[in-house]
Amino acid sequence: MSKINMQLKELTENVGKSYSVLQVDYPTPNQAALDFQPGDVHAVLAYLKGQGFRQMSLLSCVDWIEDGQFQLVYLLFNWEAGLRLQVRTRIDRANPVFTTVTGIYPGAKYYERDVHEFFGVEFNGNPDSSKPLFLENWDDMPPMRKDFDPQAYSDRKYKAREYKTDFNTKAGEGQ
Amino acid sequence: MATADKEKKLKEGWEGISRFFRANSLWMLMYCTGCCAIELPQAMTSRYDMERLGMGPMATPRQADVLLVTGYLSVKTLRRVIYAYEQMSTPKYIVAFGPCTINGGIYHDAATVIKSLDQYLPIDVYIAGCMPKPEAVMNGFQDLIDMIKDKTADGWKRYRDNYDWYKQNQIESLGELRIKDEYHE
Ligand code: SF4
Repeated sequence: MSKINMQLKELTENVGKSYSVLQVDYPTPNQAALDFQPGDVHAVLAYLKGQGFRQMSLLSCVDWIEDGQFQLVYLLFNWEAGLRLQVRTRIDRANPVFTTVTGIYPGAKYYERDVHEFFGVEFNGNPDSSKPLFLENWDDMPPMRKDFDPQAYSDRKYKAREYKTDFNTKAGEGQ
Repeated sequence: MATADKEKKLKEGWEGISRFFRANSLWMLMYCTGCCAIELPQAMTSRYDMERLGMGPMATPRQADVLLVTGYLSVKTLRRVIYAYEQMSTPKYIVAFGPCTINGGIYHDAATVIKSLDQYLPIDVYIAGCMPKPEAVMNGFQDLIDMIKDKTADGWKRYRDNYDWYKQNQIESLGELRIKDEYHE
């Protein structure tokens, strides 16, 4: 792996001085992934915005079903230096509530709607966050959760074509 | 008796003539829902040139004869396709591309994608292939033209006669047919 960007390294060290970073990762030379406690995220994001990370490219969510947690991942981008940052935090899966970051990155409004729709995370302070964004008339649990079974939903909801079976494979055939 | 016979013959004659012209001048509404749509440019441009079959693109449903559904349909898209189809004036035909419209194809287990389009809209011609080659597309269009000529492209009549059945299926899968999103509010 080529050398990690010096500026990025310096930046993560600076962040570490004021906030408790749980873990640092460098997925690529110009990208760092930092883990924080949920309470630190807003302060960190505000600080990073001041450091040139003007763009929040995406808010993503990961369902760690065995740990009983959702991981929120804020992807930030610095246009001047060409650096990327992931700010990550884990929240309780049973009670998925977080506070909006629209005060820092107004564009997060739509990403929060997206995460609410697909994972069911509530964002306090964003009145739009529970409006549907992509799905229409959705009537089941948020579909990107790991315990959602799309096949069962599809079988229940959409009629399948009926076939006459005119050829049956023997065991081991047509695998 | 004789006059009724004559009238019937005349009517059939006229229908035959209008079928001839319909079959040779088809305007397509391309609802490019899925990846199958990528084969249409080849079929339309100079190499295969579907214009020589008398087919051309049309911008609005009201003036189109053929609805091309090119691939998988999410419930959200299906709702809009139904709108488009019902706006078209009769006679109207649907050509469905790829296994996605036949049985769900590779999206058979997706939570937001329907499996079998003929439950919701009447299909006249299926074109097989994921995605179908331009030759197959042209062949499908030729089939449609032949079917129009010999009166077997009667999807719109089936839709009219079994309207309740189609509506019931649509509502079962879509919940509500009206489009309600923030852009329509
Ligand atoms: S049939 Fe294949 S090519 Fe066509 S929309 Fe489905 S997946 Fe895409």
